[in-house]
Amino acid sequence: MDVLFAKYLFRRILSAVLLIVLVITINFFIIHLAPGDPATIMTGLENPSPQIIEALKRKYNLDKPLLVQYFKYMTNLLKGDLGFSYVYDQPSWKLIGPRVFPTLSITVTASVLAFTLGTYLAVLASRLRKKFGDLIFSLISYVLYAMPSFWLGLILILVFASKLRWFPTSGMFDMRASYEGFRKVLDYLHHLFLPVFTLLLIQLPVFYRVTRASIVQNLREDYVTVLSAVGLPNDKLFKKYVMKNSIIPAVTIFGITLGFSITGAALIEIVFAWPGMGRLLLDAVFRRDYQLLLSIYFLMAVFISVAMIVTDIVIAVLDPRVRLL
Amino acid sequence: MKNIVLDVQDLSVHYRINKKVIRAVEDVSFKVEEGDFVGIVGESGSGKSTLAHTIIRLLPTNAMVVSGRIELLGYDVLSLGEEDMRKIRWKEFSMVFQKSLNALSPVHKVGNQLADAMKAHNPNLTEEEIIDRLKQLLRMVNLPERVLKAYPHQLSGGMMQRIMIALALLNHPKFIIFDEATTALDVVTQGQIIEEIKSLVKSLSLTGLVISHDLGVVSELCDEIVVMYAGRLVEHGTTEQILQQPLHPYTQGLVRSLPDFAQEKKKLSGIPGNLPDLSQPVHQCVFAPRCPIATEECFKTVPSTEEIDGRRVACLKVGARI
Amino acid sequence: MRFRTDFAKRYLSSRYGLAGLIMFLTMLIMALFAPVIAPYKPTDISHDMLSPPSKVHPFGTDHLGRDVFSRVVHGARVSLTVGFVAAGLSALIGIVIGALSGYIGGVFDEVISKIIDSFLMFPVFFLILIIVAVFGRNLVYIMLVIGLTTWPSNARIMRAQTMSIKEKAFVKIARANGESPTRIIFTHIIPNGMYPVVANSAMQIGGAILTEAALSFLGLGDPSVVSWGKMINDARSYMSFAWWSIVFPGIFTVITVVTFSFIGDGLQQALYPKLSEVRNE
Ligand SMILES: Nc1ncnc2c1ncn2[C@@H]1O[C@H](COP(=O)(O)OP(=O)(O)OP(=O)(O)O)[C@@H](O)[C@H]1O
Ligand SMILES: [Mg+2]
Repeated sequence: MDVLFAKYLFRRILSAVLLIVLVITINFFIIHLAPGDPATIMTGLENPSPQIIEALKRKYNLDKPLLVQYFKYMTNLLKGDLGFSYVYDQPSWKLIGPRVFPTLSITVTASVLAFTLGTYLAVLASRLRKKFGDLIFSLISYVLYAMPSFWLGLILILVFASKLRWFPTSGMFDMRASYEGFRKVLDYLHHLFLPVFTLLLIQLPVFYRVTRASIVQNLREDYVTVLSAVGLPNDKLFKKYVMKNSIIPAVTIFGITLGFSITGAALIEIVFAWPGMGRLLLDAVFRRDYQLLLSIYFLMAVFISVAMIVTDIVIAVLDPRVRLL
Repeated sequence: MKNIVLDVQDLSVHYRINKKVIRAVEDVSFKVEEGDFVGIVGESGSGKSTLAHTIIRLLPTNAMVVSGRIELLGYDVLSLGEEDMRKIRWKEFSMVFQKSLNALSPVHKVGNQLADAMKAHNPNLTEEEIIDRLKQLLRMVNLPERVLKAYPHQLSGGMMQRIMIALALLNHPKFIIFDEATTALDVVTQGQIIEEIKSLVKSLSLTGLVISHDLGVVSELCDEIVVMYAGRLVEHGTTEQILQQPLHPYTQGLVRSLPDFAQEKKKLSGIPGNLPDLSQPVHQCVFAPRCPIATEECFKTVPSTEEIDGRRVACLKVGARI
Repeated sequence: MRFRTDFAKRYLSSRYGLAGLIMFLTMLIMALFAPVIAPYKPTDISHDMLSPPSKVHPFGTDHLGRDVFSRVVHGARVSLTVGFVAAGLSALIGIVIGALSGYIGGVFDEVISKIIDSFLMFPVFFLILIIVAVFGRNLVYIMLVIGLTTWPSNARIMRAQTMSIKEKAFVKIARANGESPTRIIFTHIIPNGMYPVVANSAMQIGGAILTEAALSFLGLGDPSVVSWGKMINDARSYMSFAWWSIVFPGIFTVITVVTFSFIGDGLQQALYPKLSEVRNE
C-alpha cells in the first residue's frame, strides 16, 4: 500500500512540475511573440539605457538561438532568480515579499470560511429536506455564482461603507489614526471585513453546490441502505459515513482555491485598494513591467503546484481509492 | 407440526415511477416453517428482491404495499412502527443484499464498519469484546482477520460477499434472506460460498429465503421452491417436486434449461420471449404470451392458485406436459 | 429525430431550463432591437447629469448626462456577442482537440490530456489579462483570447465522449468499411458526442461575459464599445451619490449570467435524465 501511495505521489508531483514548465513556456513565448524587441519589452521601459539592454542580453542569452534562450530562462528561474524590475529599479522578490501577507490574509480567511460555511449549509439543507429551503438556497447560489466579484465589492462598499458607515471604504489601516498594538489589529480586522466578506460570498456557492450534490448522491448509495438496515442510528450514519464521503469534492475545491489564493483576489484588491499581490500584478500589467509580471506568474504556478500536491495527499488520506488511480 | 416463521398472505407491492404504476409483486402467498429454507426463483425483474425488501421493510419511498399481510417471527411486519422495526431488524432477522460491491462505505475500513454495525444492537459491548466477536464471525465465513483493516475496494468480490454474509450473521438472527448471494461470482467461488452457506445454515439452525434466478443454486440450498413470474407466484412445491415434476410450463422451461438436464437433451433451451410490461394491468394468464401450450382460454382468464398433492400451481392447464 | 423531440421535451420540463430560455429570448430581443428599445443613443451627452431614475430616464443618467437605460440595452449586444463568439470558439477547439485525442489515443492522447489537466489547474484570467495588455484592447482580440484559453474543459468532455463512442458498434462498422479516421471523427463521433460540450458551452458563455466585464472594469476593455463592465468602472468614482449608475449594469450582468447557468442546467438535465431525478426529489 505504501508503494502504491509513493507511486501516486510521484505521479502527482510529476504533473505539478509539468504545470510549472508549461507556465514558464507560456511566459517565454508571450515575450517573444509580443510586438517589438524582446530585450526592450523585458525592461518595461520606454527608452531603456544600452547598459540595461546589454545586461539583459547577457543574462538571458538574448542574442543566442531561441532554444538556448529558453533553456537559460528556465535555469535562471529554477535557480530562484525571480528577475529584476527595471520599472521599480528593484529585484522582483523585494516587491513581491511585502505583498504576500496582505493577500493571503484575505484569500485564506475567505476560503476557510467559505469551505466551512458552504459545507455546513449544504448539510443543513439536506437535513432539513424541505423543498422550499433548498430552492431558496439554490437560487441564491445561482445569483452569487453569476455575480462579478468587483461589482459585489462596490455594492457592499456603497451600502456598508458609504451609506451606513459601518466599515471603512478602502485600505488595510486607517492612515490618519496610526494605531499601535491591539488597536492596530482591530483596525486591521475592521478593514479586512468587507473584502473577505465579498470573496466569501463569491466562493460560498461553489462549496455549497458541490457538497449538496455530493450528499444527495451519497444518500442514494448502497452503503447507506445497508448500514441503515443494519440499525446504525441515522445521526451516526450521516455524521460519520455520509459526511466523510460527501466532503471529498469540497476538499479538492478548497485545495484549488488555496492554490489560486496568491493572486486570486486581484479584482477585489483593486476595489478595496488593498495593498496585495493582485494589485502589484495589475500595476505590472499597466506599466508593462514584464519582468515583475512574469515572476509573479511563476510564483503563482509554484504556489498552485504545491497546493495541488498537498490537496492530493489530503484526498488520498481521506479516500483510499484514489491511490489506485 | 413445525412452527411457521414467515407467513406471507396475498401480498401486492407496486412502484410508482413517472406517473406509471409498476406491479412488481401481485397476490403472493406462502409460508416458511422453522428450520426450512425456501427458494424464490424467477427471471430478472420478476419481483424477487421487491418481495424480500417488503419482508424486512426496506422498500424505497416510491413503493407501496397495496394489500396483504406479513407475519415474521410473530411480528406483524407491515404494521410495525419504524422505530420498533429498527430495533428488531438485523437482530431477529437480516439479509444478504444483492449488490454487495458498494454495500459498504468506500472510505472507511471494513472492521470499523462492522464494529459500528455491531454496536448498533449491542451498545454495552466493550471494544475488545467487539473485536473478539468480529474475529469469530470472520472465521465462520472463512475470512482472514486482516480484512478488518482493509478498505472495501481492496477485497475481491468473493471476500466482499463473505463480509456481507458475516454482516448478516452479526447478531445471530433467526431468519435470514440471501438475495442473489452468489450471482456476481465466478463458478468456483460460487460453489465454495454455496457450501459455506449450507454448513452455516445447518450449524446455526437458521430459517430463511434464498433468492436467485438460478434454479440450480436454489435447489442446492432449499427444501422448498417458489417460482415467480412477472410478480406472481406461479408454482410452489418441494425442491424434489419442482425439479422432478414441474407442473407449470414456466417452471418446466426453467428446469429444462438447467445444465444437467440440458446435457441429456444435448441442448440448452431457454424460454423465448420477455417479461410483460408490468405497468399494464392484465386480465389473462401473465405467462400466456410466452407459453407453448397456451390456448384461447389462457388469454381470457386469470388462473387462480390451485393446491394439488400438497403443492400449488397457477395454471389452467395443470399437469399438461410438453 | 425522436431523440431531438424527447430532448426538447425533457429540456422544457426542467424548471431552470424553461426559465433560462425565456430569459434568453428576452435578452436577445433587447440586443437585436437595441436602437428601437433604447430611448436615446448610448453615446448622447446631455446637460442632465447624474439625475436619478425618472420617467424621462428610467435608470437615471451618468456623469456625462448619458441615459443609463439606453447604455444598458446597448451593452447587451456586447455581452452576448462576446459570450457567443468566445464560447463558440472554445467549443470548436475543444471538440476537435478532444475528439482527436480520444480517437487517436496513445502518446498523443497522453500529452494532450496532461496539457488539458494543467490548463484546468490554472487561473486563465491572468493569462488573458497579460495577453490583452500585450496585444491590444480590441473586442475581437478579447473574444479570441477567451476562446483560446478556455477550450480545455470542452476538450476533456469531448475526449471522454469519444472514448465511449469509438467502442460503439456503428463506429466499428464504419472502420471495418474502410472509412477514413477523419471521416469517422467528423461524421460519427462529433455529431453523436458533442451534446455535453454544448451544455458546458452554455456555462462558458456566462463565464466569458464575466471575463469581458472584468477586463472592461480594469480598463482593458475595447474603448470603442459600450459595455456593462466599463459602465461600472466609469461609475466607481461617483457611485456614492449616483447608485443607479452602478447598480443597473451590474444587475443586468448578473441576470445574463444566471440565464446561461439556467440554460446549461436545463441542457444537463435533458442530457442526463437520471441526474435530474436527483434534483427534483
Ligand atoms: N425503486 C424502484 N422503482 C421503480 N420500479 C422498480 C424499483 N425497484 C424495482 N422496480 C421494478 O420492479 C420490478 C421487480 O424488480 P425486482 O428488483 O424486485 O426484480 P428481481 O426479481 O429482484 O430482479 P433481479 O433478478 O434483476 O434482481 C422490475 O420491473 C423493476 O424494474
Ligand atoms: Mg433482485
